[in-house]
Amino acid sequence: MNSLTLKDLTADSVVATSHQLGEPAWLGERRRDAWELFAKSGPPEWRRSDLSGLVPDDLATFTSPGITLEWDQALAAQGVVFKPLQEALASHEALIQRYMDTGVAPLEHKFSAMRAALWRDGVLLYVPKGVAVESPLRVRYSLPDGVSATFPRTLVIVEANASVTLVEEFSSNDQPVSALAAPISELFAGPGSQLRFVSVQHWGAGVYHLGAQKLVLENDASAEWTSIALGGKLQHLDAETTLKGNGSSVNWLGATFANGTQQLLTAPWLRHVGHNAESFMQFKTVVNDTGYSVFDGMIKIEHESAATSTRLEEHALHLSPNARNDSIPGLKINTNSVLKGGHASTSGDVDDEQLFYMQARGISRADAKRMIVMGFFSPALDSIPLAGLREELESIIEQKI
Amino acid sequence: MSNDLEIRELQASIGDKPILKGVNLTVRGGSIHAIMGPNGSGKSTLANIVAGHPSYVVTGGEILYQGQNILELDADERSKLGLFLAFQYPVSVPGVSVANFLRTALNAHRAQEGQDPKKTSIPVAEFRKQLREGMKSLEMDEGFARRYLNEGFSGGEKKRLEILQMTLLKPTMAIMDETDSGLDIDALRIVAEGVNRLAGPNMGALVITHYQRLLTYIKPQFVSVMMEGRIVRDGGPELALELEEKGYDWLREELAEAA
Repeated sequence: MNSLTLKDLTADSVVATSHQLGEPAWLGERRRDAWELFAKSGPPEWRRSDLSGLVPDDLATFTSPGITLEWDQALAAQGVVFKPLQEALASHEALIQRYMDTGVAPLEHKFSAMRAALWRDGVLLYVPKGVAVESPLRVRYSLPDGVSATFPRTLVIVEANASVTLVEEFSSNDQPVSALAAPISELFAGPGSQLRFVSVQHWGAGVYHLGAQKLVLENDASAEWTSIALGGKLQHLDAETTLKGNGSSVNWLGATFANGTQQLLTAPWLRHVGHNAESFMQFKTVVNDTGYSVFDGMIKIEHESAATSTRLEEHALHLSPNARNDSIPGLKINTNSVLKGGHASTSGDVDDEQLFYMQARGISRADAKRMIVMGFFSPALDSIPLAGLREELESIIEQKI
Repeated sequence: MSNDLEIRELQASIGDKPILKGVNLTVRGGSIHAIMGPNGSGKSTLANIVAGHPSYVVTGGEILYQGQNILELDADERSKLGLFLAFQYPVSVPGVSVANFLRTALNAHRAQEGQDPKKTSIPVAEFRKQLREGMKSLEMDEGFARRYLNEGFSGGEKKRLEILQMTLLKPTMAIMDETDSGLDIDALRIVAEGVNRLAGPNMGALVITHYQRLLTYIKPQFVSVMMEGRIVRDGGPELALELEEKGYDWLREELAEAA
């Protein structure tokens, strides 16, 4: 749609485009504010993400991502909405205006402002009160050929006592030149609701994935979140769960595999605000060749919280001596009322005893190594509700070993 | 082709520390041969070296199986020749299910060089049948197959899984490394019955044990005693009884006198 490069844009042109697309005025103004911050900010201090290969000014032709929605359309009869976000601006304007940008702060730094200014399309998932959706819904974002930047946005609102599973997937062909994908995902789980969110990044080579995700849990809401990072040239993903409501809970599993010269950073944060909230995070990382992975996990227990139960674990497996994983788990506690809180981090090579045990049964060393890596990722892989996707990911993982 | 296992003047160390100091042992194919000895005599080391554990350095001697020196071969190649080690402390492998593991091992054994693995792989129905029958014979609950390999298993469950693997892989020479350790009487009975079902002309067994107890269930034709990295005496089942009665010190004294 646009064949402009980023350096051709101005605040006015951003608002004009919004207007041309028929977007409401309040959104045009938000884009303006975001653009102005973007234009005057220097890049954020991301010590562990090397963005030198990405020259934003040269990024051209950013437009909607390819969006594929898979779901049981009969659910619409129960009031479930699953539609492209751009379309939803017309049909569900008030809902979107109320929730959008209250999860991921738009004006935090240059890239959050960029996303907020330039986002184009995505998906709205809305589940009305009390509706229990059994079959998983899936949104697939892709990078169309010839497009070097895309900014999709996922907005999920689950009303009280409803339940749903959403699989969000990012995939593409290998890119001949560096491409940028800067998605925003905001998820709001209402009181007593249950949300399972599986987010899978398996872009082709050459993609810079600079993402932000935020999940907000109301009273007694429970969530299961699986984060999988396998693709792209570089990832910097800021993800956060805010346990805002009393009695809310989250079980967060992660699987990252950095091989070749990939740099994959995930910064998953747990923020405890409500009383009696429980959180558990377990991230597994495998690194191979000269791959580089960063786990920047954090548990933040706020002053207003009470009786928090939380735990954060990261485990890394090194398949080659030159691969690297930086594990930086943190714990910030601003209250005396914590029931259980802790973190653990382990790192090692493939266990020789496990290899020998399997070889002693006739299994070749290469096959044994492969089984051990798959087994290592099994908590996250087991949580994927779509068998076809799981197989696809297993085959991608095998290629990386 | 004979299934004799011949160990000749085997010397081995771990790091700088010599553990096997010239082991000579012949285990006749199809026979049950017990090795007894005090703790630290090198029995487990011997078992692991025959199976091909990479941490040990063989500094002398040879191990012949079916006429070839297997020291050249990796552990998986030795397994495919028909050697099997029932581990004393089976390691757990998170995320790998028992069923998946067994099927992969079986298929590795069935694979033939140059042939498409899809053609040699065990058909699903056949595998399920063998697995079910094997588990039933060892009084194992069917849900076992879905559990992750040795993860959270009791001692008895681990040892029964070792025998289940033996049942499915049908080795020609099984080395049992202190299979009875940590087992109560019931588990011991089940494990021993499993071994006895397989042992015979098609499967020889090298039974390594500290105590005589296991040998009342798995009756050996031959008994050898290992001390300080060497086989110091060979005999028949009565040797085991004599050791039970008189202890290892008796034998130490006899050997000292003879020296």
